[in-house]
Amino acid sequence: MAETTRLELVTPARIMAGSDVEMVVIPGSEGLLGVLPRHAPLLANLARGAVEIYQGGKIVQRFLIDGGVADISPEKVILLAERAVELTSASAADLKARAEAASGDEADFLLAAAEAV
Amino acid sequence: MPNLKDLKTRINSVKSTQKITSAMKMVAAAKLRRAQEAAESARPYSSRMTEVIAGLAAGANPQSAPALLVGRAAAKTHLLIIVSADRGLCGGFNGAITRAAREEIAQLEAAGKKVLIYIVGRKSGDALAGEIGDSLFERVEQVQGSDVAYGSAADIAARVLEGFEAGQFDAVSMLYNRFVNAITQTVTHQSLVPVEVAETQQGEDAAAGARLSYDYEPEEDELLAALLPRNIATQIFSALLESSAAELAARMTAMDNATRNAGDMIDRLTLVYNRTRQANITKELIEIISGAEAL
Repeated sequence: MAETTRLELVTPARIMAGSDVEMVVIPGSEGLLGVLPRHAPLLANLARGAVEIYQGGKIVQRFLIDGGVADISPEKVILLAERAVELTSASAADLKARAEAASGDEADFLLAAAEAV
Repeated sequence: MPNLKDLKTRINSVKSTQKITSAMKMVAAAKLRRAQEAAESARPYSSRMTEVIAGLAAGANPQSAPALLVGRAAAKTHLLIIVSADRGLCGGFNGAITRAAREEIAQLEAAGKKVLIYIVGRKSGDALAGEIGDSLFERVEQVQGSDVAYGSAADIAARVLEGFEAGQFDAVSMLYNRFVNAITQTVTHQSLVPVEVAETQQGEDAAAGARLSYDYEPEEDELLAALLPRNIATQIFSALLESSAAELAARMTAMDNATRNAGDMIDRLTLVYNRTRQANITKELIEIISGAEAL
């Protein structure tokens, strides 16, 4: 069993994910960050982009997040995102429909998510 | 002697009042569940955000830290955000907020500060309208309910930040009702600028110390500049959620009491009605009997 780190993805509305992962790739504002267990403490600003969760060398779950902040410590990674959508189980058509119902930034974000699926 | 017909009308009117209050109670109870869930699921985000900010604040240099974090040295003007409900009929909910606001304003003014008011929700706005006059900074309504959008909190935060950047005020704090449980709401005062670093317990001091070794990406200043406005929006959002849940809880309790009072009143009125009816019957019988005897 490979070493894991605790990942929590939290939005203002709810906790989107909380699991032990082998690696997670997060969209830092300065570029992508691959976070492995025992990462040095880091506070990073996040940009809009995909969060990819790796398990056994493969991506098992993806989210699109819309900016936020990551609090990385050796044991855990806390991602505070203003908005997030899970991409693994979502369908592009569904997200497009939601985007049409929403307005402003929210619609923009959902459209981006529909494209990223 | 009360008139039978009047009594009947009275009873019916109390009955329909009771129907309304009991329906309002049911509606509030149903909405409360959702609002409470929303408030509770928002807590992790705002508490983690507070942790991160507290860590940064503990490590920040008071001279060079951004004004949003530590406030301006000469805090002359104070912005007070008052969160109340849009609707009444919720017991002491709005009254408590308004009273706390008056006290807070008096206190700040006694300390020689100028106070600006940001009203969120109709009720406190109406109650305070006559007193605050030109110190009203902004007023918004209809942002609460069982479904609070993060967007409305972000809008309020944007307006606050704009005013702060323009130097209209030097400190910001917020008054709202926090949801404790279905029968208790507490008026809470929270400082937004400078950021309120919760009175750290001993254990957390160590954690704050550990934070000093953090790396930042991008640089600390830039990170703070991005994070602090977001923190304000988050805190406002969680206040709106708490206040909405507290409002529904207060309404539920108030309407429950009203329903019970109406029930008591109906019982009393029914008793009077029956007595009166009986008295009338007795009176008629006496009249008939004494009429028959006279013949």
